[in-house]
Amino acid sequence: MKFAHLADCHIGSWRDPKLKDISTRAFVKAVDLCTGEKVDFILIAGDLFNTSLPGIEFIKAVTKKLKEVKDLGIRVYVIAGSHDFSPSGKTMLDVLEHADLFVNVAKGEAIDGRLKLNFTVDEKTGAKITGLLGKRGGLEKSYYEDLYRENLESEPGFKIFMFHSLLTELKPKDLEKVDSQPLSLLPKTFDYYAGGHPHFVENKKIEGYGVVAYPGPLFPNNFRELEKLGRGGFYIYDGGKLEWYPVQVYNAYSMHFECNHKSAEQVNKEIFDMIKSKEFFDTIVTLRLDGVLDSGKVSDIDFKQIFSVLYEKSAYFVMKNTNGLSSKEFEQISVDSGNIEETEDKLIKEHLGQIKVEGDEDALIKQFMQALSLEKNEGEKVADFERRLVDEVKNITR
Amino acid sequence: MIKGQVISGEFGKIIVRQKSLEKMEIGELLVAENQDTKMILQAYDLVYGSQISQQNLELISGMNLEEGTDIDFFDGNLRNYTLAYLKTMITLGNGGAKISKGLPPVFSNVREVTSDDLKFLTKPRNPLFIGKLRSGSKMLDVDLFLPGDKVFSHHVLIPATTGRGKSNLTYCMLWDVMDRDYCGILVLDPHDEYYGRNKVGLKDHVNSKAKLAYYTANHPPVGCRSLKINLQQLRPAHFNGVVEWSGPQKEALTAFYKRYSKQWIESVILEKPVDGFNEATLAVLKRRLLSLLDMEFDGSQLYCNGVFDINAGDTTIHDICSELEQSKTVIIDTSPFSGAVEILIGSLVATEILNRYKGYKIKGLLDDKPVVSIILEEAPRVLGKEVLEKGPNVFSTIAREGRKFKVGLTAITQLPSLIPREILANINTKIILGIEMAPERQAIIESAAQDLSEDNRNIASLDVGEAIVTSNFSKFAMPVKIPLFEDIVKQSRKEDVKKDYSGIGFG
Repeated sequence: MKFAHLADCHIGSWRDPKLKDISTRAFVKAVDLCTGEKVDFILIAGDLFNTSLPGIEFIKAVTKKLKEVKDLGIRVYVIAGSHDFSPSGKTMLDVLEHADLFVNVAKGEAIDGRLKLNFTVDEKTGAKITGLLGKRGGLEKSYYEDLYRENLESEPGFKIFMFHSLLTELKPKDLEKVDSQPLSLLPKTFDYYAGGHPHFVENKKIEGYGVVAYPGPLFPNNFRELEKLGRGGFYIYDGGKLEWYPVQVYNAYSMHFECNHKSAEQVNKEIFDMIKSKEFFDTIVTLRLDGVLDSGKVSDIDFKQIFSVLYEKSAYFVMKNTNGLSSKEFEQISVDSGNIEETEDKLIKEHLGQIKVEGDEDALIKQFMQALSLEKNEGEKVADFERRLVDEVKNITR
Repeated sequence: MIKGQVISGEFGKIIVRQKSLEKMEIGELLVAENQDTKMILQAYDLVYGSQISQQNLELISGMNLEEGTDIDFFDGNLRNYTLAYLKTMITLGNGGAKISKGLPPVFSNVREVTSDDLKFLTKPRNPLFIGKLRSGSKMLDVDLFLPGDKVFSHHVLIPATTGRGKSNLTYCMLWDVMDRDYCGILVLDPHDEYYGRNKVGLKDHVNSKAKLAYYTANHPPVGCRSLKINLQQLRPAHFNGVVEWSGPQKEALTAFYKRYSKQWIESVILEKPVDGFNEATLAVLKRRLLSLLDMEFDGSQLYCNGVFDINAGDTTIHDICSELEQSKTVIIDTSPFSGAVEILIGSLVATEILNRYKGYKIKGLLDDKPVVSIILEEAPRVLGKEVLEKGPNVFSTIAREGRKFKVGLTAITQLPSLIPREILANINTKIILGIEMAPERQAIIESAAQDLSEDNRNIASLDVGEAIVTSNFSKFAMPVKIPLFEDIVKQSRKEDVKKDYSGIGFG
């Protein structure tokens, strides 16, 4: 049995025009690699899209690729992730599933206040696949707590469980502030646990469980991930052997400058010295500057010229991050360098309890944030958009 | 109902004659009422009184016993009676409830206390339910609350002999705080009892999903976390109070830490170089660390068999502290480990949370944080005189200065006398259950927030589930009946949450 395990494609995540289609290109490239490797089926463990209703150009590209795969007789099995899940059920994943382009394996029935999952059997290999979606703020936890485990754990055969949650037991130190779920939530005795959600690459054989794997994103989704990962990738499982396949859309090159005890002029020189001897052909370049300048202002660093030189050296795209850089000439402002979700979490926690709310206030806020972050789709009438928004909110308050 | 009359005595030792056919008990609460004030009194001793001389009483008894005569007393109720020794607890007047500073008039009637008399016992803003007020062995329908945030930050001591209800009290307190947001509690659970893996426990609380975290190295139940702690989290100071090192061994530990930073333990095991230490010293260090941390080294590879690991558990201590900050009750099942490992784990969490809270104080964020309390069973293991003579540890630091940072201890022990006086004095709330041994009672009496000098017998006579609560945050030492945990669970409301399985394909 040979299958591919992708996750966190986040198609549509980059907004800059030059990077807008980069996740789509990574997806196309990954699927081509899968077909080239003649996998039996493909798993996508959540967040195929960056939103539940992505732009038409992204849908078009993904649909085209999924159709190609289907025509080759390769089935695709997915679950929704925290980004492409919608509480009202209005998600593009449903449309693609109805078009028979893939199968959402998060299927089951509610029995006596508990959730019983059913297996989807891959016809070609006989693999039995099931799983649970991911929701924002780890809200999928309640699904796991209500899960019937007996039928899942006693099922014979090769079993795959797809999930979209960060597991505490696999959480690295640098993600210690991120909410996670305990491994014990997962049903036991599966052969392979296809994970998504955390953007790092990890696989581990765990006693009583099987192989638990996170392939990481198909392409880095933000500045920090570009620095840390450089590129994305996915796993191919082949008869018990697991191999990570990188997906290289562009080269990535990260530069980090520590600016303490330096003047703006010195930093400027240091950057130019660094880039002058290098070529940046088709490369995404990231520049991070940290510290407190002894003299001069941040604006004295000639980023315009630096960018210009980098583009002259054929860089595909250049980004800078000066959040951690300040100058002694100005009052120091502390900037949280965490990602958006961490910052949101922190702000929510700081403001909890100010109004009386029944139930889990933290969870409710996150649901509202997700619902209210919906954007009007291309061609969608204002009235339809409003109705969709109201439906989402109603679903939460119901 | 009149139960007696004040006849004589002195402050702290008021003598009351008991009305015939009425029964007074040690620990009973009584009220002496004037025109404008009420005085709440408590019986601490009972003696016989008689108008007949002892010699004659003995003679009459002898005639009854030896000669079978049927001698009765003329006006027996008047001539033989019971005298109760009472102490003043509190005076209620127009100015509210105040500590008593006077005596009730001679011949004041003394009556049974009623719920109305105790209306001054109001519920504080952050209540900690202790139990029902008790008068002798009778339970009153008066709930007793203490200001939980203050109580936990200023430390709690639960001294009791085995079988007097320490665990039940702890269950009840934990159950109560799981309904509140003012406190996070770390429970080092050496008997794996509080979660209730195979019986009734805190997992049955309606808020358990949001307010309870359970860490165990032994097949975690669904939703619970496996306990693994990365070796890199350990610092030499964490071993204070856990292991006794010799001077050179201590210096060697520090030298390894300075040179190899987070990899210091692996470096000791792998025999990496540090200058200036005897080979034998390093060999002992290696052997003791391997044994304590349950690791094996075959000459090339390090195997971790216990809770400490080289690959996993990077964020465990951080996660636990974050949960405490979210006012959760965090139970760590330490039943598979030795006492030393249990204390080491406690030391790791205690150090981290204390440092975090110190940081919050500096940043002015401490007021927004819940109090954190660490429940320590057999507290003299880390707070005992013998241990502390060898040097301070994080628990003794918390006992001394934790209240400034909203970090407190809840120390449980059968042997409070082993804890130094200055630490006992720093523990501002003591929930005293039955203690049979006189030296242990004495240690508690001498360090109580209220004067318990006359309560020796009272403490000795406490039945299972009965307690005396003495606290800087109560106006008097309160007799309490602690409810049975199983009863609380039975009476608790049941979860009624509408299930939402959106995103799952049905049908």
